[in-house]
Amino acid sequence: MNARLSRSAVLAVLTLLVIVVLSPFALVALNAVKSPAEYASGGPLSLPDSLYFKGLADFWIRVDFGEKLFNSFLISASVAVLAVIVSILNAYALGIGRVRGRGAFLVFFLLANLLPQEALVYPLYYLSKEVGLYNTQLAVIIIFTAIQSAFGTYLLSSVYTAFPREMLEAAAIDGAGKWRTLWRVVVPISWPSLSVLFTFFFIWTWNEFFLPLIFLISNDKQTVPVALGVLQGDRMMDATTTSASALLGIVPAIIFFLIFQRTLTRGVMAGAIK
Amino acid sequence: MFTTRTRAAVTALLAAASLVLAACGADADDEGGGDGKVLKLWHYEGATSAMGVAWAEAIKQFEASHPGVKVQFEEKGFEQIRQSANMILNSDEAPDIMEYNKGNASAGLLSKQGLLTDLSSEAGKRGWDKISPSIQTTCKYDEQGIMGGDKWFGVPNYAEYVMVYYNKDLFTKHNVRVPTTLAEFEAAMDTFVKAGVTPLSVGGAEYPAQQIFYELALSKANRSWVDSYQLYKGKVDFKGPELTYAANTFADWVKKGYIAKDSAGIKADPMGVAWTQGKFPILISGSWWYGRFVAEAKGFQWGTFLFPGNSLHPGSGGNIWVVPNKAKNKDLAYDFIDITMKPEIQSLLGNSGGVPVLGDLSKITDPKSKELIENFDKLNSSDGLAFYPDWPAPGYYDVLVAGTQHLINGTKTPAQVLDEIAKPYNDNLTSIGK
Repeated sequence: MNARLSRSAVLAVLTLLVIVVLSPFALVALNAVKSPAEYASGGPLSLPDSLYFKGLADFWIRVDFGEKLFNSFLISASVAVLAVIVSILNAYALGIGRVRGRGAFLVFFLLANLLPQEALVYPLYYLSKEVGLYNTQLAVIIIFTAIQSAFGTYLLSSVYTAFPREMLEAAAIDGAGKWRTLWRVVVPISWPSLSVLFTFFFIWTWNEFFLPLIFLISNDKQTVPVALGVLQGDRMMDATTTSASALLGIVPAIIFFLIFQRTLTRGVMAGAIK
Repeated sequence: MFTTRTRAAVTALLAAASLVLAACGADADDEGGGDGKVLKLWHYEGATSAMGVAWAEAIKQFEASHPGVKVQFEEKGFEQIRQSANMILNSDEAPDIMEYNKGNASAGLLSKQGLLTDLSSEAGKRGWDKISPSIQTTCKYDEQGIMGGDKWFGVPNYAEYVMVYYNKDLFTKHNVRVPTTLAEFEAAMDTFVKAGVTPLSVGGAEYPAQQIFYELALSKANRSWVDSYQLYKGKVDFKGPELTYAANTFADWVKKGYIAKDSAGIKADPMGVAWTQGKFPILISGSWWYGRFVAEAKGFQWGTFLFPGNSLHPGSGGNIWVVPNKAKNKDLAYDFIDITMKPEIQSLLGNSGGVPVLGDLSKITDPKSKELIENFDKLNSSDGLAFYPDWPAPGYYDVLVAGTQHLINGTKTPAQVLDEIAKPYNDNLTSIGK
């Protein structure tokens, strides 16, 4: 009886939390399908009389949203793949290879990770201008590969420090070199951690606003979050179109998260069976 | 098992590599300047706004009068231009012509950094200097980047000003006539208060409250006070008659119930929505609302009048066209600015809900636009634009928001508020050596 009571209490609290978390999304969705006139007469909380999709369509056309989706996907996917590879190589050296001074390296990477992006802007701006990469997606990919892999190295190194030594020794006895051990033994076994990293890198890069805003000048190179910024005016705010754009902006991230979520669980299961 | 994994990993790697290559390949097409064949133009106004409509037509006319030249237009986000204008203009990616915010902290700063082209000779030659002196103030900057200087760095196509929006249906219902003096205005608001209606929709958490405060100061001020306050041409006494009257009257208006106690926490957008919902009869704010109200305030008849009794009003020239110093086709940029100042483009801007700087009222056919521009002509003929209260010092916007919030909440007396807002103002004067 008591257990059941506490269970339903937990359930109630969880339901409440879910509502609190979801209510901003609901509000955005509500205003995204409301006409500006209805917003003006009813305010943000009123229910629309009819669904109004013109705001969504107008915004899509205005910023050429398909192109922005492609750009974001290109940058996020490249960064996620490259940053995972760099993290693997670094962490293999630091965690399994146990190179000298690895503690110092890890502290350095952690510090680099804590640095605010605003502090990086001017040095990166001058560097990229010098090498002719200002206003290119490649610049953003390189920068984020470095930033994300700093965190990835930190995390993956601690995973690899706990890597079963017997496994490595067995591989060595079987005649596998360092390179072979990495790709045939270490990477497959740490696959679950790698897919977690990949997912995080993808979503973090997808949501990045500040550096893409500074580095991607031409409209045809911009990413989704930067395109959403088009609507922020000096004084005026167009609430319904802003909601429409916000909805368009979150939906891809949610979809990707759901897709990755499934591969994530699969990765974890595969690891468990071995 | 491993091999399929490896294969997947290799495929992912290859995919990533090809993505990177594709990214590299995409930037090869960035040439396009210097040969007089392309005008690279950026602005950040929506396509349906008055400026968006007028400028689209200007681009069309420009291409017609410059055969062989293509306008490469990009709609930018205000945020991006604000954050990175100085970096963009210092690189080869700079456009030939760009919309930019007027004022010391924006266009003034860029001009001081040497990133903008001096337009003085073009302005004289092409007659852009026909616009009224107070609009010119935001076009011209001195070597410190302070507005009201001697060199032209930008040209505006439109102006903006603060006015009183009123709900005609509620005025009729409560038998209130449009006031022509401040006393009549207060009497009108008294009538609403007696009927249990709060007269003013005020957003105390953002710019609207300080603009009402400034209107009240301007009711006692003249041009030389404005020059002192905005352009540092003289000393401003924060305990003088202008600001003392403003602070006392503002506090009075709260006491008498013209301004609701809870408006300290209201932002500008909800303020506008509350007015379009018909909850308040009066809203004091700028012409930037006009187009939106025309489109969205459907439930009642409404009109506007200038703040009663004032000859000076908050307002200024709009955002300006600037020509970056690194622009590759400056002559084309000048030609484009010239087209935007032509009568037909100015009239189009007026008929689309904007306030043209060189408008001709007889060419304005749209009745709602006519009212807007008529009022502007009234105040422009006496050169009545007094800029905005937060302009004189960096970060002053927040100081004024806090000050007016204290007045609304009654947490500080008017005299205390005046002391509070005087300090940052005077600190700034010291720091720029005035």
